[in-house]
Amino acid sequence: MFSLFLASVVLFTIYVKEGDSGPLHTVQLGAAEILRPARTAVANVAHPFKSAEGVISGALERGNQKQALKKTRRKNKELSAEVSQLQQQNNRLRKLLKGSRTGYKYAPLAQVISPVGGQFTNRIMIDVGSKDGVKPDQPVIVGNNTLVGRTAQVSSNTAEVILVTDQSFAAGVRIVPKSKYNQSTGEVSGETSSGEGLLKSNYQGYLGVEYIDQSARVKQGDYVVTSGRAGKFSLLFPPGLFVGTVDSVSSQDIDQYKKIVVSPAAHPEDLQEVRVIEHW
Amino acid sequence: MEQVSVFRATLLVAVAAVVEAVIGPYLTFGGIAPRLTLLGIVVAVSGLQETQGLLIGFFGGVLMDALGEGLFGVGALGGLVAGAISVRVSAMKLKGAQRLILAQAVAVSVVAYDLIHLFATHLAGLQGPSVGAFVVHGVIPDALVNAVLAYLIGLRLMKLLKVRRVGWT
Repeated sequence: MFSLFLASVVLFTIYVKEGDSGPLHTVQLGAAEILRPARTAVANVAHPFKSAEGVISGALERGNQKQALKKTRRKNKELSAEVSQLQQQNNRLRKLLKGSRTGYKYAPLAQVISPVGGQFTNRIMIDVGSKDGVKPDQPVIVGNNTLVGRTAQVSSNTAEVILVTDQSFAAGVRIVPKSKYNQSTGEVSGETSSGEGLLKSNYQGYLGVEYIDQSARVKQGDYVVTSGRAGKFSLLFPPGLFVGTVDSVSSQDIDQYKKIVVSPAAHPEDLQEVRVIEHW
Repeated sequence: MEQVSVFRATLLVAVAAVVEAVIGPYLTFGGIAPRLTLLGIVVAVSGLQETQGLLIGFFGGVLMDALGEGLFGVGALGGLVAGAISVRVSAMKLKGAQRLILAQAVAVSVVAYDLIHLFATHLAGLQGPSVGAFVVHGVIPDALVNAVLAYLIGLRLMKLLKVRRVGWT
């Protein structure tokens, strides 16, 4: 038993030290690739529009005219649902295309395959990978340039996305007044910023901005956008990606920084299609 | 005379790991999730010899690590602990209380796994919850849910593992 215990500790040590391209990470990526069809199938079943209606309708089919009429009606309902779904998808895609910025290179539109399980993580799997030019640590957006996370491990056909609500996610952000920010271009008119800090999530699920000075003028409803730079250093994300709105601002005299809680613009459970920014 | 088939026990653990990897993420609510692999290990190992049980527990845990996206080694150690607990527990021959003992073994295994996971998370330098908060909001409900699951389906799974032993006479 001791040798097996030791083997577990060795596996853990190798995994932590090896980096994203190490053998144990590769094993996990390979397994994810193998399980992809099964996960996609489960995701389709879990989709609300593909509910039990179709299955039940098939089981209740009858040969007579009345049943045929019922079947046609049911078919119409299914088609209506499908049309509604396609319209929604069309709207989402239009919104995504509208949000394309000049000079940015995007990977093909990615579908969310499934959430990634884990007690202390908040991640999803998407169906684009290194074959599509996706690499680790690239920003992932939805809608009109709303940041949802960054890529982590990437296989040939899939990529794991660390969502902004994951505890290991961090991004340099600044807080800007709502009226001064243009979401499509990412520009802030007048370059007025209420403060710059670090976006982080904690275990309780609160998304917050840390290291905002007590003197910063931040108010509820202000927008939180990526800063893109910290002094002379370029950060992981391009500037001006929308993250969310300031939900509450509080401070105590003994604290050096303000406590800012952010309401994220994109919720993980609503994600269906996302885009990876490959270059900017 | 019936005995547990090693092949069936291994197959049960493998199937449980795959099912957990595919549907587990949809059934995870915060720190609470169905630990099907641990349940499979506890069920599969009961009735096996100690060495067989520990090996099935360890490699079942490795499979859980490989199919999941968490820290490698956590599942292996969790599986090993689950196997060890099950080996000890199965040595107790209490008639009529088998179902309850199985549920308790799964609950203890889940508690051990959750604590190992938390410890490993901190050890890897990742942010995790405080022990107190995690025990109240994560470990206890997780153990209870999985114990109920084990109570409901554990014995049925156990019956699937048994084969009739052919004697010499």
